[in-house]
Amino acid sequence: MFKKILLIEDDKFLRELMNKKLLLMGYDVVSAADGESGLVMIKESKPDVVLLDLILPGINGFEVLEKAKKDPETANIPVIILSNLGQSEDIEKGLKLGAKDFLVKAHFTPQEIINKLKAILD
Amino acid sequence: MYEEQTNFKETKEEALRRVRVALLNILEDTDESRKEAVNERNKTMAIIENLTDGILLLNKRNEVEIISPPVVDFFRKEEAEVVGKNIAELLEGEDFKKLKDILFDDEAKKTKVAFRQEASIGERLDLEVTTVFLKDEVEERGVLIIFHDVTRDKLVERMKTEFVSIAAHQLRTPLSAIKWTLRMVLDGDTGEISAEQRDLLEKTYVSNERMISLINDLLNVSRIEEGRFLYKQEPGRLEEVVRTVIESSQELLKMRKIVLSEDIPEGLPLVEIDKEKIYLAVQNLLENAAKYTPEGGSIDISLEKHETEVVFMIKDSGVGIPESDHERIFTKFFRGENVIKMETEGSGLGLYTTRNIINAHRGKIWFESKEGKGTAFYFSLPLARQKTSEEKS
Repeated sequence: MFKKILLIEDDKFLRELMNKKLLLMGYDVVSAADGESGLVMIKESKPDVVLLDLILPGINGFEVLEKAKKDPETANIPVIILSNLGQSEDIEKGLKLGAKDFLVKAHFTPQEIINKLKAILD
Repeated sequence: MYEEQTNFKETKEEALRRVRVALLNILEDTDESRKEAVNERNKTMAIIENLTDGILLLNKRNEVEIISPPVVDFFRKEEAEVVGKNIAELLEGEDFKKLKDILFDDEAKKTKVAFRQEASIGERLDLEVTTVFLKDEVEERGVLIIFHDVTRDKLVERMKTEFVSIAAHQLRTPLSAIKWTLRMVLDGDTGEISAEQRDLLEKTYVSNERMISLINDLLNVSRIEEGRFLYKQEPGRLEEVVRTVIESSQELLKMRKIVLSEDIPEGLPLVEIDKEKIYLAVQNLLENAAKYTPEGGSIDISLEKHETEVVFMIKDSGVGIPESDHERIFTKFFRGENVIKMETEGSGLGLYTTRNIINAHRGKIWFESKEGKGTAFYFSLPLARQKTSEEKS
């Protein structure tokens, strides 16, 4: 049984790259390009981990996280924030809202991101 | 006898006449001086009233003696209702709180002749306030306050830093895409590549990493200038931060074949720090030392406890800073004349950022350097406030 990862990312190219890497590493991937649909997908597809961007069209990543954590159905799904924000305020806010980790995209390679995923899945 | 009397009368009259002349002279002089004084006063007032900076003169009872038109505007009052009033009455309300704190800083009055601070009046004005305490040998004579309106400068500054911050964030996204793509290709995720392709892509990857770190530097600088750089200051151990930096720099030191020796004593007192920022400061200094020290050189790092502070030192056997650059070494985008020629990478933001971090911690930073011999950078951080026994319990 493959582990399922939900990728919420609005940049098409970044989404494709991450999608490819995740598939290569043997994960099942579903993705969403904005906050609204991301939230729906969390509920419907019940992923094992969510990779969540913060700057998104419509409702932003913080709100997605907050709503997902409030819903008892999805509250236990681990969320890793993967964003290019990265100031201490943002990181603290993300972790407080219940994210497992906060990764700045420009500071991690795809492989390093997968390693973080693995650590949470194991 | 009669003759004598006449003589006497004459001399008396003569004397009186002379007194009269003398008196008239004095009066004339006085009048002259008065006119001069009035003239001078008019000149001074003309200058004061036409200055774009605002002038406020208080006597020693803190009553308004002179107030120039810009200050009247700042306070949103009429001149007539202000003169002679105690300044405390004029500065009521939340808007004037900061200004009041400055003007009634008794501590400063005792220790300083003049000082300059920034104060905002509500949301509408940013002022640079220069306070000059007027004293003669005998007593306090009052206070002269000069207001310089910096509202526009502040706005431009805010817009500038906001722009840099947004730009820096937006730039990270395409750089992430480049980084991820290159890494995946290099990791073989898209199939085999030739040795030549690998070599080129590795170099591209390093360039891209350089760009990412330059943007991080810019982001830090823009935040420093926004004044919201120090996030969380709490009592912490400087030695722990220094050790973490040393640990994470092992690869760089190995690559540059540099020997690092450290002298970090046990049991150093706590200092009030924002760990993340101090990490950045120490990292900048260590990276500089490593970059500007030739292969096979050495770096010494030490920590020392002084009475009221902990002093950090990093000394290298590197290229040194030319004498002529000493004054400008901490300015933004500045790079030493000798290191520009060395083809080393660098944004010219490291020491600027580092000094700002140390200053924000109320610490000091300084250096000693000799071109061709090496450089030693020092910074000191004040000890964390000792908790009293009551606070502890």
